Amino acid sequence: MKPQAGGNRKPGGSNSGAAAASGTGGAGGGVGRQNIGRGRNNAKGPSTAVALSGVYANMRMVHVLTSVVGTKCDLKVKNGLIYEGVFKTYGPECDIVLDAAHRKSVEPNVGPRREDIVESIIFKSSDVVVVHFKDVDLNYAKKDNFTDSAVSARLNGEHKEKDLEPWDGGEQHISGSMESLDTDLSNGWDPDEMFKYNEETYGVKSTYDSSLSSYTVPLERDDSEEFLKREARASQLAEEIEASATYKARVALENDDRSEEEKYTAVVRGERELHSLNRENKYIPPSQRNREPGMSWGAGRQNSPRLVQCSPGPPAPRSGPHDYNAMDQRVIISLAFSAHPWPSRCPSPSSRPPSRYQSGPTNSLPPRAATPTRPPSRPPSRPSRPLSLPSAHGSTGPLSTMPKRLSSEGPPRMSPKSQRTPRPHRVASCRGGGPPPPDYMSQGASVEVSAPPPTRNSSSGGTWSSVVSGAHRPRSPRQNSIGGGAPSPSCLSSPQAGTVPVDSATASTTATSPTAANPATNLEASPIEEAKESRVLEMRQNSPNANKENVKPIEASASIARSIGKGPPSMAPDHRKQIDNLKKFSVEFRVSLISLPLCVFRNSEKSTVDSTGPKVPMESTISEETSTAVSITPTGSKSATPSLSPSSAVPEQKRGPDVTSQGFQTTSSLANAAAKDKDEKEEKNDPVAESVRKSTLNPNAKEFNPRVFCSPPKPATTPTQTRPQGQPSPSIVVQQPPAVYGQTMFQMYPLTPVSPGVQVPHMTMSQTKPYRPGKVPNMPQQRPDQHHPPGASTMMHPATAAGPPIVAPSPAYSTQYFTCSPQQFASQPLVQQMPHYQSQHVFSPMIQGSARMITPPGHAQPSLVSSSTTQYGEQTHTMYVSPTPIPQQFPHPSSTLHPHPQHPQPSATPTGQPQQGTQHGGSHPAPSPVQHPQHQAAAQAIHLGNPPQQQMYSALAPTPPSMTPGPNPQSPQASFPSAQQAVYIHPQQMQHGYNPNHMAHVQQAHMQSGMVPPHHGTPSHPPTMMLMATQAPAGPQPGTLNPIPVSSATHYSYTLTPVQGHHQQQL
Amino acid sequence: MTSRRRTRLRKARAPVSLAEKMAAPGPGEYFSVGSHVSCLTCLGQRLQGEVVAFDYPSKMLTLKCPSSSGKPNLSDVILVNLAYVSDVDVINDRTETPPPLASLNISKLANRARTEKEDKLSQAYAISAGVSVEGQQLFQTIHKTIKDCKWQEKNIIVMDDVVISPPYQVENCKGKEGSALSHIRKIVEKHFKDVESQKSMQRTQAQQTQKDSSLSS
Repeated sequence: MKPQAGGNRKPGGSNSGAAAASGTGGAGGGVGRQNIGRGRNNAKGPSTAVALSGVYANMRMVHVLTSVVGTKCDLKVKNGLIYEGVFKTYGPECDIVLDAAHRKSVEPNVGPRREDIVESIIFKSSDVVVVHFKDVDLNYAKKDNFTDSAVSARLNGEHKEKDLEPWDGGEQHISGSMESLDTDLSNGWDPDEMFKYNEETYGVKSTYDSSLSSYTVPLERDDSEEFLKREARASQLAEEIEASATYKARVALENDDRSEEEKYTAVVRGERELHSLNRENKYIPPSQRNREPGMSWGAGRQNSPRLVQCSPGPPAPRSGPHDYNAMDQRVIISLAFSAHPWPSRCPSPSSRPPSRYQSGPTNSLPPRAATPTRPPSRPPSRPSRPLSLPSAHGSTGPLSTMPKRLSSEGPPRMSPKSQRTPRPHRVASCRGGGPPPPDYMSQGASVEVSAPPPTRNSSSGGTWSSVVSGAHRPRSPRQNSIGGGAPSPSCLSSPQAGTVPVDSATASTTATSPTAANPATNLEASPIEEAKESRVLEMRQNSPNANKENVKPIEASASIARSIGKGPPSMAPDHRKQIDNLKKFSVEFRVSLISLPLCVFRNSEKSTVDSTGPKVPMESTISEETSTAVSITPTGSKSATPSLSPSSAVPEQKRGPDVTSQGFQTTSSLANAAAKDKDEKEEKNDPVAESVRKSTLNPNAKEFNPRVFCSPPKPATTPTQTRPQGQPSPSIVVQQPPAVYGQTMFQMYPLTPVSPGVQVPHMTMSQTKPYRPGKVPNMPQQRPDQHHPPGASTMMHPATAAGPPIVAPSPAYSTQYFTCSPQQFASQPLVQQMPHYQSQHVFSPMIQGSARMITPPGHAQPSLVSSSTTQYGEQTHTMYVSPTPIPQQFPHPSSTLHPHPQHPQPSATPTGQPQQGTQHGGSHPAPSPVQHPQHQAAAQAIHLGNPPQQQMYSALAPTPPSMTPGPNPQSPQASFPSAQQAVYIHPQQMQHGYNPNHMAHVQQAHMQSGMVPPHHGTPSHPPTMMLMATQAPAGPQPGTLNPIPVSSATHYSYTLTPVQGHHQQQL
Repeated sequence: MTSRRRTRLRKARAPVSLAEKMAAPGPGEYFSVGSHVSCLTCLGQRLQGEVVAFDYPSKMLTLKCPSSSGKPNLSDVILVNLAYVSDVDVINDRTETPPPLASLNISKLANRARTEKEDKLSQAYAISAGVSVEGQQLFQTIHKTIKDCKWQEKNIIVMDDVVISPPYQVENCKGKEGSALSHIRKIVEKHFKDVESQKSMQRTQAQQTQKDSSLSS
């Protein structure tokens, strides 16, 4: 039993470990961690769980023992001898490792002599009676050294906890000064006022003298000619100077009353705004700018863009601001639409045949498109949010009724609502695997809009404007719109996928949507139709909800309406404010737009209401209009994809990982969605043909087809290629959410090959919007990874994506895992990875356990990894006392070292050790100084391939020259003939070795990430290299060892990989 | 968590019989974290403390007891192998659920282990170089406050600045005149003062015990 250090010592033990892991979250292996970290409820399944054996499965034991690492302790063995040493680590069997241990002599106060000290000793638990750690500070390694509880716990004696008093905001000032600040138009105090106030209030009299007599001397005037001359001369000079252009310029500079913002801002404000700002030359917080009635358009505009910009920074899709931003954007877009001359464009609204609408995939887009149509009709759309809007806008007669209703329903509200809901769903979905597609959808829709712009615009508000402009242009120029619009379609598509159950509803929506999609058609459509459309749109927006409920479209709409009605009250005051701002902004925007050719205003309300809707229409229209969106016709979502990929490659990439992760999370429902996507893909595969067909279906679309053809083939091709690849991954993911690591890896692979562009489409296909929400949480994790070289980024993303859901909690795990993955692919069965994992566990139970405990889910992963690695190295060394340390010293085995396979590899060691243990137990029940030799023999036997072991030994002996010359490995034995324990005395353990190792590990991790992508490309060679790199950290030696399956298979596998790598390297 | 542990323990119990010497602590047959336990080792040592952790399969029990040196912030941790323990007694059972485990800073622990080891080894060097006990004690005392001290032959080098040579008295402190030297002199002075007082204390204690014994006899 003992031989398998890591192993399965007792069925009960390991099982219990697993159970504990899943349940306790922390006690167990990776699973426990994952759960903790992610806060997910669903256990990924026993398969992924690595059972911790023995003591390592006992969370509390691990914690306590780990927290006393590095302290001196007295260890009593069975025969009564006491050893003192530094507690180094412990094994799964609760074997104790003491560093720098010596046998305690009877006399106190006499320190051990150098010769008495053994580098490290492993005490088998069966020999240990008591280990006494004296004067231990159990809080020493607690990470939260600065939390209140931690601080108070460390306080000496009595410290009354300070009673905290709530701050009431300073009553005295609240009423007066705060408000006065708001209303005060003056810009600060006049100096004289200050003097006066100080004198009156505090009795302080200023010595300020305006004549500045301390600095200058008053001019004495006289009537002398000389003086007059000089005076004249002076005045003349002064005139000259003051007349000079430079002087004027400088003075202007100095006396410029404009605020800095006005001077340097790139945003052009309306005069009004300037006025208001200039009025006091006083800073007005953005939030208040809109409040002022005078602010009007210009201000509104400004604010909105800014908001948007801000949003990118803190990626909180759920956060209110984002939503609002999204809203803003949408509004803008909708406005843009409104601006468009619908009538002229719309070819034949009435003409649209229902069948064509039903075409399905396209449907998703159309709904949005529909939304836009409304928006155009109703510039007043903003009102929709406030409800009051309808009246203000004075929509056209027939439409007006509808709009109002719609407005009341307030699609915007819906979006926020939906966003809120998503959260819970999300969690559930992630865990349960039950995909809350609807939520995602809704989230995606609302969030997405906001998110995409930020990414693109990262820095400049200008971008934003550009987007808007693009929206406008589509009609006229038709070109730019894609960039802005693209995101929205994806959103739509996502909802569809999610909605699967709701299909009927969607279909209906889609039917309507087609109208939207073809703005031209819509335009002509009668008011009634529009109304329908608007409904449909609403339905659509609501669709997430509807899907959930499986409500039919009509019902859904009704429900939506209700919900909307409820919505307004529920909204937080802040939201309202923002909405108001938006309204203003929209109004302003409108004003600006007015200049543009405005055609018919239909139910603009709706458009405004449906934040998502407007965008979609935009896209659809754009796509159709623009040749770029070739593939668009077939499926709305698809169309969006192509356009997106070109425009925003980078953001897309980022999304990619997220997507994958989501895919994992999402379960069956997603699968359905994926299936849909697949279908779409298939369709897309023959983009042209498909498009043609579809186009035929659509009378309106037909016209566009030619364009499609005309359009550069590139877009079409890209989508096809990308999609297939990208899609598979999601589908796979979906199907096997719980996915074993290996599976995950697979998924990863497909992704990796795909170029960033590919990923994008994929993203779009599956659920672009969902990503966003998901993204935010993931982002932090991704960040670290992103540091890697650009090339790696792609890989990393998938990895990260995959990692978070499954492995998520412990970065270290994920990294390692990934590392392994290349190996897998190289030649080993997937299963092996697991063993490897386990083996690691075994070796560094301490670490892992600690890691578990240590790692707060999100936490500094990099640090964690590093620490764990270090420990790992250390532990291995300690555990397998003798040789290991030395080899480590030379992390990069010098040429000399290399030839000699150093058996002490971590992997090898474990095997060896256990065996030793067995032997020990059997042959030498009590004391066995001989162990060392035996061990060696065993090791040799195990590693037949390593003849050099012996050499190693000899070599080792010299190595520790710094220490006492005398002791060679065996010497210690001699010195402790009586030692009962199986003491593996090591001449010396080099501490320094650790660092290099550690470093290597870290580097490796990075390397890996970087390396991976190439690996995919070229499976054979690069991978091997990869392996090497990876392995190197673990221990350079492993490679050297000949893998002879003496020990447990698990170890073996681990060893194997390295070996391969090693060989390759050598070759 | 407790419940889970319990079930696990029960499962494990079947194949593995309890150690004979191990007295069943109670109906639960395990120690709940937070309860106070006392036991007698096979070496005749009485142990008592609060259960911090207990691992059934390995029969390892971890106790926490007040520091033997009486320092308030520190505690002693005892890891007991219940296979060699008898007379296990649960003094009182846990009253409240154990606190959650804090995460640990592993690198900090690893560093501690390393420095402790290095210290011990360096000290061992000095000892094997034939330094007197007084010197060793002084070194330890200085080391407590000033980490930067080492042995050079039989001299103690503090901060590469001050050299204390045998017999390690105040007057043996040499180096550049300055605050460092004076500071170290103070430490040395205090050290010997403390040692003296300790000795006297021990003497008086010994005398007292003698008296007591004589009285009692």
